[in-house]
Amino acid sequence: MTVGPVAFMALAALLFCIGLFGALTKKSAVLVLMSLELMTNAVNLNLVAISRFVTPASMAGQFAASFVIVVAAAEIGLGLALVLALYKLRRTVELDRIDRLRG
Amino acid sequence: MMWIALIPLLPALAFAAMLPMSRRIRTAARWLPLAAMSGSLALSVAAFLQVWPGGGEEPVWGVSTVLATLGGAPVAVSMRLDPVTAVMLLVVTIVGVCVQVYSLGYMHREERQGWYFAVLALFSAAMLLLVLAGDFLLLYMSWEVMGLCSYLLIGFWHEQDAPRRASIKAFLTTRVGDVGFAIGLAAMWSYAHSFDFAVVLHGTTWAVGAATLVSLGLLAGAMGKSAQVPLHVWLPDAMAGPTPASALIHAATMVAAGVYLVARALPLFHAAAPWVLVFVMFVGASTAVLGGILAMVQYDIKKVLAYSTISQLGYMFIALGAGGEVAALFHLTTHAFFKSLLFLGAGVIIHATHTQDIREMGGLRKVMPWTTGTFLFGALALSGVFPFSGFWSKDDILMTLWTQGTWYSLATLVVALLVAAMTAFYMTRVCVRVFGGPVCSLARESHLEMVAPMAVLAGITAVIGFSSPAFAAFLGEVKGWPDLTMAVVGSLAATAGIGLGVWVYAFAGVDTQALRLRFPRVAVVLDRGFYFDLTYNRGLVEAFVWLADRLSAFDARVVDGMVNAAGRGWSAVSSSSWTFDARVVDGAVNGLAALVRRAGERVRTLQAGRVQSYQRLGYAGLLAGLGLAVLAPYIGVLAAAGCALAGLVVIGAVIVRGA
Repeated sequence: MTVGPVAFMALAALLFCIGLFGALTKKSAVLVLMSLELMTNAVNLNLVAISRFVTPASMAGQFAASFVIVVAAAEIGLGLALVLALYKLRRTVELDRIDRLRG
Repeated sequence: MMWIALIPLLPALAFAAMLPMSRRIRTAARWLPLAAMSGSLALSVAAFLQVWPGGGEEPVWGVSTVLATLGGAPVAVSMRLDPVTAVMLLVVTIVGVCVQVYSLGYMHREERQGWYFAVLALFSAAMLLLVLAGDFLLLYMSWEVMGLCSYLLIGFWHEQDAPRRASIKAFLTTRVGDVGFAIGLAAMWSYAHSFDFAVVLHGTTWAVGAATLVSLGLLAGAMGKSAQVPLHVWLPDAMAGPTPASALIHAATMVAAGVYLVARALPLFHAAAPWVLVFVMFVGASTAVLGGILAMVQYDIKKVLAYSTISQLGYMFIALGAGGEVAALFHLTTHAFFKSLLFLGAGVIIHATHTQDIREMGGLRKVMPWTTGTFLFGALALSGVFPFSGFWSKDDILMTLWTQGTWYSLATLVVALLVAAMTAFYMTRVCVRVFGGPVCSLARESHLEMVAPMAVLAGITAVIGFSSPAFAAFLGEVKGWPDLTMAVVGSLAATAGIGLGVWVYAFAGVDTQALRLRFPRVAVVLDRGFYFDLTYNRGLVEAFVWLADRLSAFDARVVDGMVNAAGRGWSAVSSSSWTFDARVVDGAVNGLAALVRRAGERVRTLQAGRVQSYQRLGYAGLLAGLGLAVLAPYIGVLAAAGCALAGLVVIGAVIVRGA
């Protein structure tokens, strides 16, 4: 049995939805960051799969995915640094309680 | 010769120097006016020697300065020195110095004596300026300054009721005459375009009507100042002031200023209608009689002297009415000395006995020999007994009346003789009551500084009469020694008065109390001073008060009512305007604000400060937009519904989780 592109895209959509759900609902900023990773990886999966099935000669999708991984790694480093600084400042990383910009 | 201007300037400077002083320093400087007056006296003697031997009216010195230009003509004030001025300067400075020295003793217990001496200096300056004035304008100015000083000195004890009332009465009564004076001056200017003595009196050809108007105006002023009937009412009340001030102002100098004014302006009176001088004589005669009668019934020693002054001033007006300015001025001079002497004596007596009522005095000859002696000199002079000064000047006036020879001057002569007898009578009455009889109290002779001036004045009173021909010659009138017949007649009148007085009071020949009881109506009329005060109070004062009350009520009702009504109207308008403001304008503003506030409160709940809620909204919007973008071209209901369902599921899950 061959696995078609639709299966990859469905898996990517599922991953993205799980990531989106986590990003929108988790209390902890760390979990939100992890959810964001899920969402970028869903995109990566799409990039690789579409590249594989639509333009097998070119490796553009794979390159784009590896760029995204690098950028995501940098992003998660920055994000975690921010979370740490936030924790030092507020002694919490629960996003519900970080509401100083409330109008 | 400009040093003559120093004569009034010295006392004026003394006043100016004392004005800003504190009460304590002013009291310490009480000798300053005396020093200034002494300087003025010395200068006056020098001025007199400059004029000597006099004769005529030509000024030996004059100075003039233009104040302003009025209708093309210069308004000038000037000073001049002529024989009349020289004599008056001597009179004023001699009496002034005597009164100043006397006051040092008389006022030394007074707390505010510094003010008294300062005002006395100002008065002296004004009086000296008045006699030095070479025109009617400057004369009028100093005339009014004297009126002010008189007011201040009468009201010296202003914390008491009587002096305060008397000062206001004196000021207002003389003001009545001064209005006439001012009108006369205005008429003088409009006719002659000058105030200068030389121009007005000798350099102008007067129409009879104009001269009559001007001279009547001047006469009105003189009648007010010299206390002539019917404006005499202020002088008896003025005795509420300090006695030395009465001696200087209300006996010797200021009240004589009216006589001086008429004497100066006599050429104008001659140019006026003939009845004006007759009127002057009539005023003088009625004043002399009225003053004489009332002086006989007073019990207050100062009031006797006050009415006597009124009477003697009337005598001077009689002389003026007969055209005898030299006789009038001579009587003015002798009267200034002996009447100030009498007042100073009265002051000593009042100080010693602590009463002004002659019924409570008596026997003072035994304890106060100096006072008795000097007072008797004054009384004899006033009574017209040879050789004292009053005899000579009174004789001059009688002779003036006799030589005029008209029927009214002869009638006035009879009246004058009668007044002479009355004068002798009431002075005898005072002397017998005060000096005769048993000793009444523990009175003692007064200090040297009070007795010495009296002795000086008594000396002058005793000898000055012999200067009668020289005095006349100095003023430019040829006159010999008195006519023997007239001297005898005058002396007979005086002797009759004295004799009657001695008989009535020393030997109790008549029971005066019984007389009073027998003629009660007469007694009341005399006690009330012929109802002058009552008439003025009823006719004028009460009318003015009534009018003032009415005007005040009009003010309170109508004028205030109008103002208040306008105020209430505006108040109503503004309060309705306020209501409009509060309800409509503020309502609109507040309503808008409330609307915005409520909207803002709704909206602000969106900005909860939670990142995830913003994300939810963002994704919801993205989904909605994507949905629209994707589904819009395909109207297929199933696809749309499916997408919507998927969106709804996501949003529902988000909302449920978020809530």
